[in-house]
Amino acid sequence: MINRLRQKFDAKWMAIAAAVGILVLFVVLPMLYLIWRSVFIDGAFNFATYKQVYAQSANWKAFANTFYISLVVTFVSIAISFPLAWLVGRTDLPGKGFFRTTFIASYMIPPYVGAIAWTQLLNPSVGYLNEWLVSVFKLSKAPFDIYGMGGLIWCLTLFYSPFAFITISRALEKMDPSLEEASRVAGASPLVTLWRVTLPLMFPSIIAGGVLVFIGVGSAFGIPAIIGMPAQIEVLTTRIVTYVYLGTGKGIRDATALAVSLMIAANFVLYASTWLLTRKDYVTISGKSTRPNLVELRGWKWPLTFLVSLYGFVAIFLPLASIAVTSLIKSLSRPISLDNLTIDAWLAALKNDQYMTPLWTSFVTGAAAATVATAIAVFIAYLLVKTRMRGRTIPDGLATLGGATPSIVIALALIITFSGEFGLNLYNTFGILIVAYMVKYLTMAVRTIAASLSQVHSSLEEAALNSGATWLQSLRDIMLPLIGPSIVAGWFLVFMPSFYELTMSIILYGSQTKTIGVLLYELQTYADPQDASVLAVIILIIILVGNIILRKVSKGAIGI
Amino acid sequence: MAEIILQSVSKHFGEVKAVDNFVATVGDGEFVSILGPSGCGKTTMLRMVAGFEKPTAGEIYIGDRLVSSPAKGIFVPPEKRSIGMVFQSYAVWPHMSVFDNVGYPLKIKGLPKTEIADRTNTALDLVHLNGLAQRLPSQLSGGQQQRVALARALVAEPDLLLLDEPLSNLDAKLRESMRFEIKELQKKLGVTVIYVTHDQAEAMAMSDRIVVMNAGVIQQIGNPVDVYETPANKTIADFIGLVNFLTAEAGEGGVAVPALGRTVPAPSGLTGKAVAAVRPEQIALAAPGTGIAGTVIHKSYLGDAVDWRIEVGGETVRVIAPAAAFREIGAGQNIGLVVDKIMIFPA
Ligand SMILES: Nc1ncnc2c1ncn2[C@@H]1O[C@H](COP(=O)(O)OP(=O)(O)OP(=O)(O)O)[C@@H](O)[C@H]1O
Ligand SMILES: [Mg+2]
Repeated sequence: MINRLRQKFDAKWMAIAAAVGILVLFVVLPMLYLIWRSVFIDGAFNFATYKQVYAQSANWKAFANTFYISLVVTFVSIAISFPLAWLVGRTDLPGKGFFRTTFIASYMIPPYVGAIAWTQLLNPSVGYLNEWLVSVFKLSKAPFDIYGMGGLIWCLTLFYSPFAFITISRALEKMDPSLEEASRVAGASPLVTLWRVTLPLMFPSIIAGGVLVFIGVGSAFGIPAIIGMPAQIEVLTTRIVTYVYLGTGKGIRDATALAVSLMIAANFVLYASTWLLTRKDYVTISGKSTRPNLVELRGWKWPLTFLVSLYGFVAIFLPLASIAVTSLIKSLSRPISLDNLTIDAWLAALKNDQYMTPLWTSFVTGAAAATVATAIAVFIAYLLVKTRMRGRTIPDGLATLGGATPSIVIALALIITFSGEFGLNLYNTFGILIVAYMVKYLTMAVRTIAASLSQVHSSLEEAALNSGATWLQSLRDIMLPLIGPSIVAGWFLVFMPSFYELTMSIILYGSQTKTIGVLLYELQTYADPQDASVLAVIILIIILVGNIILRKVSKGAIGI
Repeated sequence: MAEIILQSVSKHFGEVKAVDNFVATVGDGEFVSILGPSGCGKTTMLRMVAGFEKPTAGEIYIGDRLVSSPAKGIFVPPEKRSIGMVFQSYAVWPHMSVFDNVGYPLKIKGLPKTEIADRTNTALDLVHLNGLAQRLPSQLSGGQQQRVALARALVAEPDLLLLDEPLSNLDAKLRESMRFEIKELQKKLGVTVIYVTHDQAEAMAMSDRIVVMNAGVIQQIGNPVDVYETPANKTIADFIGLVNFLTAEAGEGGVAVPALGRTVPAPSGLTGKAVAAVRPEQIALAAPGTGIAGTVIHKSYLGDAVDWRIEVGGETVRVIAPAAAFREIGAGQNIGLVVDKIMIFPA
């Protein structure tokens, strides 16, 4: 009996210790080393790097830009998302199910694909939308130029506001509708109820969604690089990449100081918001809740439907259509028409090894990261949900830390830590890409698996142990089959963002390990919009297929 | 205060007839319960009165005001109906203090601050919450939150108070004391009440009249005594209280109940197969050899009473008798039964 018990515990502890060990090696060590490198020069504590970096006005400017852009995008995103979420969740807006799915799904579009699309639509010389506006309104010159602060904020808002929309509309769905009904019977009109009851109750999720947008935009690289850099607008991420590309020791040091600044700023916002939210006590007691009573829009119905459709059209349909058309067009200087379309670019691209190899690289590294991350996530989630051990939340905390850290910071930390410094040289290997993806997206898998694991009653596992199974056997025979769908879902939730990842890959790739995101970025900067579009469509198709599988497996509960 | 008239009100969700042809009048100051099994349409009916659902047919009057009439295209939204409502989930707003919750309807009316304070405090006194005005709902027990909801529903002195299973989230003891408190309040304020519940004891204890519903249709309207003692049909007899059903046969001289060896007068127009219904407390135990002869099958001791299963004439009846009666008689032994009241329904 004692022996059996020991055996059971040994397997369990070894598995969990291995998971924790990997996290310490790939999350804690690199981050600490990054900070250490930024403040120790030749073994002595020294703020000189920071002094040097912030003595340059370009870096100050980048810092200020990052803050300003993130703030504006956050406010605009909330201002758009809350009304949208309310219209879709609480009113008789026609087609709201479709709108809801569409706005949530727009989260799947990689931001840099969005940026490429908007440069096609609104570049000042041959932007489709500009040309159309010129011809319809008989303008003398293109009305918009995407390359500028306005264009940058516009594009970031379109592709980061879904974070706010998803958070807010989920919270709205979970809110007990009788809280609003109580206000109606108390004599308040739907609008007063919205203002006095719904909005204050949604405050925590509005903040939470806003923080997601803020940190997402502050850490974004793709859109600022594609739209901001040509317009000489620099943000922290683009400065960091520029410094890293210098390739010198000083360049890396300067990048390190900027990355630590970014990391501290992001964490500050995160903790400040958590603190703000935990001070307010917003537990809602939910009874047998009824279907929400839908607010009738009456005369506003059609004008609002038009507005929402227009937003969906501009935010999602136009960019996708632009990419698709560009991938098929024969001559960019002629108007869009059937005889100006061809699949030649597609055929050429599919036969081009320089394109297909990165596609394959992304596929393999994404799949490897997803597999490793899911395996680790099972143990972390088990530890978190099914044990009462002291410190059981630490691995989950580390996974969350990885997910909350700006991608560029993770990439830089990994590159300085694993270039032989600690006896492990992953420089320019597939390994460093896989580690980076795993660190960044592990938390997605942990969340999904932990949620499903908490639904499985402990007695099911205890019954197996009682029947004589070892812990590993009970995990294999009882737990895994029960939480199987969530494991598959977790795998896809890591695979998909890894597959199209750009920010970390752009720093970590080597000549043999170029990824599809990097390739697309290069094609865009070398002005080959057509091939970039072909590859963008391929990425979108793969994401779409992945998402369909995800929905099937999770029975609609999880989608990217 | 107001009289409520529900004229052939129906609510159909596609094929589902949640409420069908509901006809009832609730008198001014009356306490009426809607009682019925889960899914019978009680909540739907209440929400139509509140204005959260539009009827598909019929008319609803609150006082002399027509508030819903699909035929005439009339629909008054909830905020213009001047009603108070208590929700099953309490629906106390977590971001407002007790005082702000209760004072909200007055604030919405735009009353002056001092009047709001006075009337809110009066309402809080009414539900015994005076000391807790500044607390947040998360610092209250379930019963206290229930009182906040009640005070908020009453503070604006509505014509009509609607309650949808307001006690079902409370524990048994609290539920019983809240029953009396709500009833007392209603008597004191004279407000008209429509009270939805699936708990027959609750409905009996509080109501002036009970509307019994099943599958969207009204089965019977009457005071608690009528509904319990002369249920309109077998289903109601079964739903309200405990009952023994015995086979019976209607013939020339009345309805014969073979198991009890009795014949009772037949309700008019009843012929052929019938059902006799006897409530367990309408059967008294008697010494063996007296009354109707029965054999004890099983006895369960309940503390204050004993639940007997007794075989008479090939059928089993359930009798609930004081714990002290016939302690010496056990399973397999004979006992006598004296049956008081027998109800007869068509089979
Ligand atoms: N919005 C709706 N769409 C379709 N069917 C509905 C809708 N609302 C209610 N129903 C149906 O109408 C019937 C009556 O529902 P209702 O909520 O009124 O029952 P209830 O008597 O309050 O039950 P309970 O005691 O369980 O609360 C049910 O069969 C329910 O499924
Ligand atoms: Mg109900």
